[in-house]
Amino acid sequence: MEGSSEPIIRVEDVTVAYGDSVVLKDLNFQVKHGEVFIILGGSGCGKSTLLKHMISLHSPVKGKILIDGVDIVTAEGSELREILRKIGVMYQNGALFGSMNLIDNICLVLEEFTDLPRDATETIALMKLNVVGLADSAHKMPSELSGGMKKRAAIARAMALDPEILFLDEPSAGLDPVTSAQLDDLILELSRSLKITFVVVTHELPSIFTVADRVIMLDKNTKTIIATGKPGELRDKSDNPWVRQFFNRQG
Amino acid sequence: MTSIDYQMLDKSRLKLVINGKLDAENTSRLWTQALRKVGETEPQMLVVDAAGVDYCDGAGMALLLQLQATQQRNAGQIQIEGLRSEFEQLLALFDPGKVSEPEPRASSFVRLAEGVGQTAVRLLQDFTEQVSFTGELFVKLLGTVTRPGSLRLTDTFLIAEKAGADAVGITALLGFLIGLILAFQSAIAMRKFGAEIFVADLVTISLFRELGPLLTAFVLASRSGSAFAAELGTMKVNEEIDALTTMGIDPVRFLAIPRVIAAVAVMPLLTMFNNLFGLIGCGLVMISVGFAPIAVINQIQQAVGLGDLFGGLAKTLVFGMLIAGIGCLRGLQTGTGASAVGDSATRAVVSGIIAIVLADGVFAVVYYFLGI
Repeated sequence: MEGSSEPIIRVEDVTVAYGDSVVLKDLNFQVKHGEVFIILGGSGCGKSTLLKHMISLHSPVKGKILIDGVDIVTAEGSELREILRKIGVMYQNGALFGSMNLIDNICLVLEEFTDLPRDATETIALMKLNVVGLADSAHKMPSELSGGMKKRAAIARAMALDPEILFLDEPSAGLDPVTSAQLDDLILELSRSLKITFVVVTHELPSIFTVADRVIMLDKNTKTIIATGKPGELRDKSDNPWVRQFFNRQG
Repeated sequence: MTSIDYQMLDKSRLKLVINGKLDAENTSRLWTQALRKVGETEPQMLVVDAAGVDYCDGAGMALLLQLQATQQRNAGQIQIEGLRSEFEQLLALFDPGKVSEPEPRASSFVRLAEGVGQTAVRLLQDFTEQVSFTGELFVKLLGTVTRPGSLRLTDTFLIAEKAGADAVGITALLGFLIGLILAFQSAIAMRKFGAEIFVADLVTISLFRELGPLLTAFVLASRSGSAFAAELGTMKVNEEIDALTTMGIDPVRFLAIPRVIAAVAVMPLLTMFNNLFGLIGCGLVMISVGFAPIAVINQIQQAVGLGDLFGGLAKTLVFGMLIAGIGCLRGLQTGTGASAVGDSATRAVVSGIIAIVLADGVFAVVYYFLGI
């Protein structure tokens, strides 16, 4: 699933800053159709910040972020809505709407974007919940779920509109190894069967080696990308000793 | 027991002999004493004989390190003798070495000037944000009016129930008490002129035109304005607002519009309850002073016209919009951290009340010129 296909996301000369302090500067990278792309880096290097820029929650101070050829930095109105429809996001803690049960959480998105009748949206919601193994909990409230279930439910919600790209913010953070591995399997399964492109922020080595097609590694001090490639290659052949150290820690 | 002895070996050499347990309890006793002694004598060479120390925890280590730091500051030397090897290892582990000093604080005048400047900029930013949010809210309200289907009706009714129906009790109680107090107080003054019957005029006019709308607005601001801010603030902290945005759902349309509409809808109704119970309170006082109920009712009826009633109710629409709008804005502005939601709720109530009073002033001027 890697190789010659056109990139679906292109990040060009992007500089990210909070107020006056630059977090990341002059980033350039591409995400290809159908691959599992991982953004790596130590704590506080701006991984999640970069992700928030890629889903147009924040605007970079400089540069372009193109999704399917449309610059999301300048896109507005219906153009932006069209792009947002193509992406799904799983936030670190799920960010499910606490006042609604799981079905309603998913139906909400469907109702906003489509004119489907309620029984249709409910069926779709159940289908998506079934994919992540939560069909039994469809009528539960988010507060009744465990951490791992919340994240899976959030993935189901992110998939509501059959997105082309799923952004996951730290899917394995705060989960035990078994649950975390189940989540990795789910990512692989969805990537294979639905050909969804994944952009994942993480620093869990086991899951990187399991799911990643390609990774980029961000560095806090240089504020740039210090490594790009397949995780196995970076572990064995990177020029940067810190990168090799990172991958060899557990791998 | 733990003890500490001082010996001047010669003019420039001080020896400290420490025996016993150097735990937090004993160290707290010895700390000042030992440091004072070293400070007084300022020895060139400080010899610490720690051979008698049989227990030493973090506090004991801190004492040794502090002695070391004092000596370094005074350009003296220190020699720690006889410390058990296990404690010596710990000492090496704990020694922070040279720590960078925190940046010196600017003088108090500079800080004052900076503080004033920052506050001014912040207030200005806040004001522009409020203005632009008001604009956004109006545009989206208009959008809702032209496309009523986009309003989340169930949510709106639920919010209206919480903000309105659930507040009837407190509003009525407040109105009743205010009517009672106002009538009672003014009756004392009016008696001097033999004009007690005009207490009804006074209470009715002030209730209908000013007090009713204002009191109800205060109740709504403190009950619902803060609740809106806390609710939206929590959603913001949980990234639920972000989630809405990336789903292509506009948080203002989705969350703020139903709240604004609900608040605007319940405000006039609550105000009427407030007015009604205020009149009842007033009537009670007047009857107890000796007026016939029918006289009181007649007096009230001829005291105010429809202009007074609707003038007051028109204000409440604006108040409702201000309270809900500010509550939602504060909620959406919530930062990160545990205290952020609480701050937002506080700010919602404070700015809500300020906005109400300002708007009421504007209304007073407008009504004066319109002759209402």
